[in-house]
Amino acid sequence: MRKFLVTAIPVLSIILFVGIMLSDILLKTPLLNGEVIPDSIDELIQIVQSEEWDKAAAKTKELEQKWNKAVKLFQFSSERDEINFFNVNLARLKGAILERNKTLAVIELKEAHEHWDKLGQ
Amino acid sequence: MNEGLVVVVRSVIGFFSLLIFTRIIGKEQISQLTFFDYVLGITIGSIAASLTTDLSSRAWPHWVGLLVWAALGYLMEVITLKWRYAAKVLEGEPDIIIMNGKILEKSLKKAKYRASDILELLRNQGIFNLNEVSYAIIESNGKLSVLKKPENQPLTPKTMNIQVKDEGMSIELIYDGILFTENLTQISKNKAWLMEQLKAEGINDISEVFLAVFNPDGTLYVDKYDDHIQKPIDVGDYKGPF
Repeated sequence: MRKFLVTAIPVLSIILFVGIMLSDILLKTPLLNGEVIPDSIDELIQIVQSEEWDKAAAKTKELEQKWNKAVKLFQFSSERDEINFFNVNLARLKGAILERNKTLAVIELKEAHEHWDKLGQ
Repeated sequence: MNEGLVVVVRSVIGFFSLLIFTRIIGKEQISQLTFFDYVLGITIGSIAASLTTDLSSRAWPHWVGLLVWAALGYLMEVITLKWRYAAKVLEGEPDIIIMNGKILEKSLKKAKYRASDILELLRNQGIFNLNEVSYAIIESNGKLSVLKKPENQPLTPKTMNIQVKDEGMSIELIYDGILFTENLTQISKNKAWLMEQLKAEGINDISEVFLAVFNPDGTLYVDKYDDHIQKPIDVGDYKGPF
């Protein structure tokens, strides 16, 4: 039993470590609701393009909440810069919606989408 | 993003990965490390440090780097064990620096040692006179091994034809109040015998003992927690501790 544990504990630890470090791949799958954020971004682009600014502001808040929830899980496997860049995009998006600047809002949303795709790659 | 928490998780991953990998790599003692082993250790440690604190990149590539360096280190170790020629190439060979009392300048140059380095290494071994040295070899780990001339060799019982008893090894029977029954069986004794010995020393319970060692001459060394020393000698040269 002792011999088994001496081998099993390191092997299980390594599996756990690899699991934590690669969890972003799993978290982005549809199985774990990983498409929530890109879907929200796509929806927001459509809303911004149709210039429904109040709805866009509400949806941005919703996206921010979803993002903050996702970051709690993603932070252990992802790079800090991509997470920070996404936060910056959200802040700029809020400004663009406030000023009703369609071009800037779409640019920020597209960039946020790119950062989401790059997260954990 | 909670950076502190991420660093904690990454530290745990780095620490235990490093522990597991180094246990797999081998049991070579620090003193036996070659220069390459030393560099390998520093590199692996540096990668583990980046894994822990470099949050600008993912932990995974750092961990893969750690794994690859550790795996290559292990591979080198296996190759040098199985293939003698590779061991000579990869780990280097010992260089004879002094032969029959003469310094071999070519070997010295090849090993990139100065004469003053050799003198220093000799002094480290308590040799202050070059005339005492018959052979000196720089080992692949950079340490100097010295064979003194016969007239400077220390006197041993063998040269004096004196018969000496085999000393053997002491065996721990009790440590920190815990009895090691395996060691007791090893010396063909039982707990009753040990208790009898302890009683003779005025000890009624094993938990009173800090250390008990069975010596090869059949005697028992016993140290109790209660040493009854009123005023221990202070070897410090200043009033302390702070």
